Amino acid sequence: MTALIELKDLAIRTDERMLVEGVNMVVQPGRVTALIGPSGSGKSLTARCSMGVIDVVPGLVRGELRYPELDAEKDWFAGLHGGGQQAQAKLLADTRALRGSYFTYSPQAASSALNPGRTVGRQLQLAIERRDTPPEDLSAEIGSILNDVGLGPEVASALPGSLSGGMAQRAALAIAVAPKPRLVIADEPETGLDPVLRRTVVELLVDVCKVHGAGLLLISHHEDTVARMADDVVRLSGGGE
Amino acid sequence: MSQPIVEVRNLHKTFEESGAWPWSSRRSVPAVRGVDFVVNPGEVVALVGQSGSGKTTVSRIVLGLETASEGGVWIEGVRWDDLPESKRRPKRVDYQYVPQDAMAALDPQQTALEHVEETLRVLGGLDAQEARVQGLEMLTRLGLESRTEALPREMSGGEQRRVTLARVLALEPRLVVADEPTSGLDPERREDVLQALVGNLPKESACIIVTHDMSEATQWCDRILVMLHGRVVEELNAKDDAPQHPYSKVLFDPWAGPLPDFDALDDWESDPNEAPVCHDEVTVEDLPAGEGEE
Repeated sequence: MTALIELKDLAIRTDERMLVEGVNMVVQPGRVTALIGPSGSGKSLTARCSMGVIDVVPGLVRGELRYPELDAEKDWFAGLHGGGQQAQAKLLADTRALRGSYFTYSPQAASSALNPGRTVGRQLQLAIERRDTPPEDLSAEIGSILNDVGLGPEVASALPGSLSGGMAQRAALAIAVAPKPRLVIADEPETGLDPVLRRTVVELLVDVCKVHGAGLLLISHHEDTVARMADDVVRLSGGGE
Repeated sequence: MSQPIVEVRNLHKTFEESGAWPWSSRRSVPAVRGVDFVVNPGEVVALVGQSGSGKTTVSRIVLGLETASEGGVWIEGVRWDDLPESKRRPKRVDYQYVPQDAMAALDPQQTALEHVEETLRVLGGLDAQEARVQGLEMLTRLGLESRTEALPREMSGGEQRRVTLARVLALEPRLVVADEPTSGLDPERREDVLQALVGNLPKESACIIVTHDMSEATQWCDRILVMLHGRVVEELNAKDDAPQHPYSKVLFDPWAGPLPDFDALDDWESDPNEAPVCHDEVTVEDLPAGEGEE
């Protein structure tokens, strides 16, 4: 099996302190990889780095980043260590085409990922347009994705503001899987939810990713979720792995 | 038996919800459907349930932040819910509320110490010097001695919560109602916040903690009232009782098995031989008087 993401010996720092050090992470296709650790251990930072987004200065000190499914050899961090903002801007530009197609990102408050001025259908359409091969029947495809996340076809014409919290979360998930990404990165989708909703949301995420053949990188601080749902676990402790 | 600090009888609350458009018909949403309980001096009681189970509404009605549609609330033996606000106001110092959103409850321009100081001066009636001394003492007790000069935006989520608690606890209240004081925090920060709250409650005061975390309730509270669809479906002695109601079991371990049909659970009746406490028919007089008494 060729990995989707391979992160080796990652070290990132600010002027004051090391944020993560010695982090290794391999994300395999079609599997649920949990990234777990206490607050401040660098879970979100590691996930963003693996998408080519580093937004701290001086930033990258050490590490290698590969997307073996795309290119087994290429190290996307090569030549960027200690390069500060300029190097990070280059990395951001190099990886731009991959975000929203190779991997998609579902932020903590899923509903904030929705554009309030566009219907859910239009947002899904824009996400579908990021695929290499467009579907034959766009509206049927939109209906089918909405169905996968448990929403009716009428939601396509709704604006995000008219959806309940749970529906908005489902719509955001639909948009995350619509480009047929190889990997969905979900940043703490359980935050602030009650135990039953937590389970429902995570199960939905895992099921929908499986249906769409995408891997899932699940950032969590709930041990019980990870124990039940994850195939692989990457555990961070404060200040490194 | 000492007088309960809080006594809630047959509490109902129905919200009127307007539709999407001005001409849409209004809808009645029953949020609380007949809740009875007491909280005795020295007791920490958890109201546990899913979002929308009515637990926050009950907690707000207890302090008079929301009016009940039916039923009543007695605090220290006085009918509280129909008192005019002018009569309630002097007592509010003793009956404190910890809101869910700590950041919204804090003044962005005041330091941690200034928050506690001001509370002690304005509500506690202390002079400036005494307020400062006591404020520092309370922040130290809550592990914030190095953060006294921090502004809310400079604090972590857990620190913000502890400042709201310091402000409340500094007044030595008789009753504290905390609405999801740990929501959105990770497990270690949750522990700190609950330790700060429960560990620093004045002796013989009562506390109601609203939460959806059963393990938290078991660890930090004396009794647990499990709420579903606006009713208390089970009451547990936190230290001894295992949950019997299927809904409580799900809240305890949401991953244990298939999720039940929550609507069908409304009519769930326990096996009388197994002796779990099911509260559908229970009145205040039948409730246990306190910890360990059945």
